[in-house]
Amino acid sequence: MGINFKAGKGQLIRRLVELVGEDAVIADERELVVYECDAYTLQRNPPTAVVLPRSTQEVTAVVRLCAKLGLPIIPRGAGTSLSGAVLAVDGGVMIALTRMNRVLNIDPRNRRALVEAGCVNAWITRDASVHGLFYAPDPSSQTACTIGGNIATNSGGPHTLKNGVTTNHVLGYEMVLPDGTVEWLGVEANGGEEVPGFDLRGAAIGSEGMFGVVTRVLVRLMKTPQAFKTFLCIFESVDEASQAVSGIIAAGIVPAALEMMDQLIIQAIEEAYHFGFPLDAGAVLIVELDGLAKGVEQQAKRVEDVCLRNNAREVRLAGNATERVALWKSRKRAFGAIGRLSPNYVTQDGVVPRSKLPEIMRFISSVSDKYELRIPNVFHAGDGNIHPLILYDEREPDQVRRALQAGNDILGKCIELGGSVTGEHGIGAEKIDFMARQYNRDDLDAMQQLRRVFDPKKRCNPHKMFPGAKRCAEFAQKKQITA
Amino acid sequence: MTLKPSSIPELQKLLPQSQRVTGVSLEAVAELLEHVPEDMTATVRAGMTLAEFQSHLAKTNQWLPVDLTQPETVTIGELLASNLNGPRRFGFGTIRNWLIGLAVVLPDGRLIRNGGKVVKNVAGFDLCRLFVGAKNELGIIVEAAFKLLPLPEAETYLAKRCESLDQAEEFLEKVWLSDLQPTVLDLHRIDSELVTLVVGLAGPSADVEAQLGAANALGIVAQTSLNYDARFRQTRPNFTSVAPGNLISTLRDLGDESFVARAGNGVIYHPSAKPIEVDSPNLQKRVKEIFDPKGVLPG
Repeated sequence: MGINFKAGKGQLIRRLVELVGEDAVIADERELVVYECDAYTLQRNPPTAVVLPRSTQEVTAVVRLCAKLGLPIIPRGAGTSLSGAVLAVDGGVMIALTRMNRVLNIDPRNRRALVEAGCVNAWITRDASVHGLFYAPDPSSQTACTIGGNIATNSGGPHTLKNGVTTNHVLGYEMVLPDGTVEWLGVEANGGEEVPGFDLRGAAIGSEGMFGVVTRVLVRLMKTPQAFKTFLCIFESVDEASQAVSGIIAAGIVPAALEMMDQLIIQAIEEAYHFGFPLDAGAVLIVELDGLAKGVEQQAKRVEDVCLRNNAREVRLAGNATERVALWKSRKRAFGAIGRLSPNYVTQDGVVPRSKLPEIMRFISSVSDKYELRIPNVFHAGDGNIHPLILYDEREPDQVRRALQAGNDILGKCIELGGSVTGEHGIGAEKIDFMARQYNRDDLDAMQQLRRVFDPKKRCNPHKMFPGAKRCAEFAQKKQITA
Repeated sequence: MTLKPSSIPELQKLLPQSQRVTGVSLEAVAELLEHVPEDMTATVRAGMTLAEFQSHLAKTNQWLPVDLTQPETVTIGELLASNLNGPRRFGFGTIRNWLIGLAVVLPDGRLIRNGGKVVKNVAGFDLCRLFVGAKNELGIIVEAAFKLLPLPEAETYLAKRCESLDQAEEFLEKVWLSDLQPTVLDLHRIDSELVTLVVGLAGPSADVEAQLGAANALGIVAQTSLNYDARFRQTRPNFTSVAPGNLISTLRDLGDESFVARAGNGVIYHPSAKPIEVDSPNLQKRVKEIFDPKGVLPG
């Protein structure tokens, strides 16, 4: 857009302070470092300023000012994105929702919760559980990530196999459009669930913060299941574990969660959290069943049979709730244990048809050999959603190059197998190049048409998702090394 | 006018040349493209009827978890365009939950695809949801991919005939607060019959058996079928939609009027229901202008 806001930065800051107060504006370069990237660290660039509004009114005021000045706006939750979704590629005003983090209302009769967009995912279940209710989507970062961010990426998590992802559980939300108008999309707090007209609520979930700033959210709560059974199934090889996953799905069982971890990640997790995973196992599956006690019992027997038929060495049952919680805690903090293996990692998020799991896992192993990089795996096997963690050391340019290449090869294979390059992390700044491989020109144009409905000037979280977008200068250099 | 293309390319050619298309018959575009039982996914052309699609899936004991009153005549395209559903909606949600990919012919003739055939996919914007329920006002759905479920091993329906709405409310609340996980939770009162609560149970046989015992313990015993839904909704009544907690008070206001209500969803079909007003009219208008600038399609 060619707006020279560097020249007018001082004035911009003064205007922002007028709108939200001095304690809600960050403009000091040393403090802006925190906001120069999210959990995807291969690209970095600080925003011009960060604002921390406390209300929809303040968000609206800031958005209107930016509209007037023609400045980019970048909505941000907790910054846990793994795809650079909240990177300020070309500066602009970052609107961080972390101060708008209240659970406003739990409505047990209607099984709904109204929360502010900056509310941490796990807080909803924390507050709803006294009513025997919970919020289903459970990304591994759920103790940090916000519900607004979940809407932006249509987040999943281990337990979305049975219950679905964010779009299946967000009934409606308030969004400040890039022109400063405020719209409520979808079901209203006390309203019916039939909403006439085009489904703008659904169309804007997963739009990666490119349609506006979400400020308040109405979510659906579910009844806490009566019974759980959680298995740790131990296999000699990833191949056998993959076969068992296909076997469980093919047997018509829909577990609440069906997760796989391979040997490298098991060893890292065990060293970090001491759960008691077998260090010599080739792979483990975590299989969780929920529902009524008797039905769960019956399903459990079948899961055990399928696993043993696929050469499981052992099928362990979590003895009690404490053990179950500990098991999930270890699983969800898997990425955190990687620090013990490598200074840096980049995780991919491809999806394949579930019957292709054995094939993609063999491919990942061959990629690991080819590029001489270790690639541990911890992922949502039941959904066919892989998370290879490509380990590298950023101080070695050649390793960075190989890590990027390895990721490329794996995602290319996912497309080839009829899958997708992202199941839950999003395209962001990271996977832009893949969009043109997964979709054709017309498909992408249709997406741009939808974008025009919400943001005709392309000012909201710009330079993301679509091929041809601008890159951070530093990253362009890294890519050059790749070429 | 109504278009009757013999193929998708023909529809791509016809649409941009047409004005005020009121309907598109996809009778000739009705193949099952792929069903991979071990992936529990299937891709189908939009002209196939739901009944035919389900019969293909049933061969491997799977189904698309949506139940319509007229599956023999409703096509996959109509199901999606009108976001149709039936009593099992409480347990399985609407068709939006099961759709994983779409192909659509836009009014200018472009064939676009969104989503794919894997069960989890966030690459790009979610146009699938935009076209579901859009009543063919933005484009014509020609192909759809779904995730599927195993056919329930056991399925049973129970009815509790109640003396009054008060009593119906009492039983409804009991079920709501219990450990039951009904797939159907309906209330109906047709032609001055008694108000009847319907509870549907489906799933693994041991599960259904256990739930049946629990429902019986609540005093809900009599077996029933879901025939009432087709019988009542063949007159295509409009519906009122309220938060589930406001259902009974809304029903009280109906007086003696007949109704079938999805009690768990707060949706009440009844003859005097008024169409619901559309929110965010400006945004809604913009969608139509951007996707169908020449007004080829209805709406």
